[in-house]
Amino acid sequence: MIRREQVAGRLALNAPLAVAVLTDFIRDAVATTGTEGVVVGLSGGVDSALAAALAARALGPLRVHAFVLPYRTSNPESASDACLVAKQLGIDHRLIDISPMVDPYFALEIPGDGEADRGRRGNKLARERMTILFDQAKKLGCLVLGTSNKTEILLGYSTVFGDNASSLNPLGDLYKQQIWRLATHLELPRQVVAKQPTADLWPGQTDEDELGMTYEVADEVLYLLFDLGLRPAEVVERGYEEAAVRRIVRLEQANRYKRRLMLIARLSGSAINLDQEIPRD
Amino acid sequence: MDEGEGAAHDAVDNATQNIAAAVTVGGQRQALTGAMLASVGIMEIPSRLTVGLAQCDCLLGEVEANVARHLAWIERARRREVDLLVFPELSLTGYRLLHLTPRVALAAGAGGAAALERLAAAAGPMAILVGFVEEDRQGVLYNSAALLRHGHPAFIHRKLYLPTYGIFQEQRFLGAGRRLELVTLPWGKAGVLICEDLWHPELARRLALGGAKLLLVPSAAPGRIGGGEVPESAESWELLTRSAALLNTCWVVYCNRVGWEEGSFYSGGSHVVRPGGELAERAPYLEEHLLIAEIDLRDADRLRWKLPLLADDRSDISGPEAAR
Repeated sequence: MIRREQVAGRLALNAPLAVAVLTDFIRDAVATTGTEGVVVGLSGGVDSALAAALAARALGPLRVHAFVLPYRTSNPESASDACLVAKQLGIDHRLIDISPMVDPYFALEIPGDGEADRGRRGNKLARERMTILFDQAKKLGCLVLGTSNKTEILLGYSTVFGDNASSLNPLGDLYKQQIWRLATHLELPRQVVAKQPTADLWPGQTDEDELGMTYEVADEVLYLLFDLGLRPAEVVERGYEEAAVRRIVRLEQANRYKRRLMLIARLSGSAINLDQEIPRD
Repeated sequence: MDEGEGAAHDAVDNATQNIAAAVTVGGQRQALTGAMLASVGIMEIPSRLTVGLAQCDCLLGEVEANVARHLAWIERARRREVDLLVFPELSLTGYRLLHLTPRVALAAGAGGAAALERLAAAAGPMAILVGFVEEDRQGVLYNSAALLRHGHPAFIHRKLYLPTYGIFQEQRFLGAGRRLELVTLPWGKAGVLICEDLWHPELARRLALGGAKLLLVPSAAPGRIGGGEVPESAESWELLTRSAALLNTCWVVYCNRVGWEEGSFYSGGSHVVRPGGELAERAPYLEEHLLIAEIDLRDADRLRWKLPLLADDRSDISGPEAAR
């Protein structure tokens, strides 16, 4: 049975092969839908940088349109890193400040900045960005490229219909360690790959603070639970902190709804997705 | 041999083998007689053929569009003088059909499906193996492969093992075939096993014991990758096809597809394995490709004379599984 020190090795991916498969995925999706290319929101973080880099390789830089969508409290480094990525990839990028769109709503509905308000404000920012990306995609005849990774999807560390909304997602079966590995392989800017991951929804926020553990631990525990099907106690036996394992189990269970978003009441015996599972090509 | 290389037939060698095949009608004894005649070098029956593997992408649920693509592959293969062209599993429909399955089914029985007739007519003298959803008279649907020759379906294999685990859902939508049969080709006897069928090694063994010197394995194998340079799924498949060719001393032609269906890819890497397990030819991974291989079914006999695994077979030995 797998030992803790073996887990990282199991997560090792052959980077050139992974890049070949994922670029093929993007090419196929664009060709099958007959669209012009993709739009992608660049946050300045490693996930969106990798998604954009894969798309630029798959389609050529002219068919990838990046949008940098800061809010007035966003860390200025986020936008400058995003632009750096776009320049390196040779893709066009537009910066649209979303403050004028969301501030009137905040003034009316979420004037505070307490813990609960921060969550609501963060979700609103993510959904505002989503509406812009889908609108720009419509305008440009493109698909919206998703940037959520497997770790955050499993832990539910995303905004429903916000950053988790996309037409296609090349990163959704990659744990964060694997994202870093591919980003390094594709020689994305060092400062983007090395920086502390953050949703940048409020000042000073970091992913690992919010998760209460490092991505390394989260990835390995998720791999053991989800990919290998170990029970929580079996994961703890391998030397992972019990509180961290419990937290991951709880988050994974509580956020399953985010992975299956269309909940339809079945009446007919030919309900969509239950009785009639019609695939898309 | 890849596209562009020509076949280098050895006329003398071919003639001697052809005698042997003419006299061979089945079992080992006749084969030996054929071999003795062959040494005289007077008669001629073909044991060599050019096989083509159409490593293609398929459009999910769109039979007409896939027929058009098949016609183009047939034309490409004709220009390469292919004798037998193998398409992947469910090549006319795509694989992950789920509830689309009944909508794309073809009745291959009396009268025949127009799509199959069109392909058969286009193929002319070329034999082609295509994958489709077959509907029988009772309305049961099968994951089938039809061998089309001389303008009509000459043989149909219905997939025997329907994977229903992990990503696979075949038993929800399809009935399992009940018959394992040989198909007689101009070059010798062959068997067809669709994808999962090869993971149950008794089928390949029974076909070989029945006289098959060639196994045709259309497949739609979902790709997986890990730390290695080639897809992990392809490594598993090659282990399997090479083992089948070694243990059954026969040729194995494995045609996989490429492309994506609902976020899952097919990795390609179609290949041909010699009797004994040596890889003869392999297509690239992840891209469409027409792989061409020259194969001689007499190679199976030649190996069997040295390595008589089939002659030594003891299927009669009783064992613990009988009590299961």
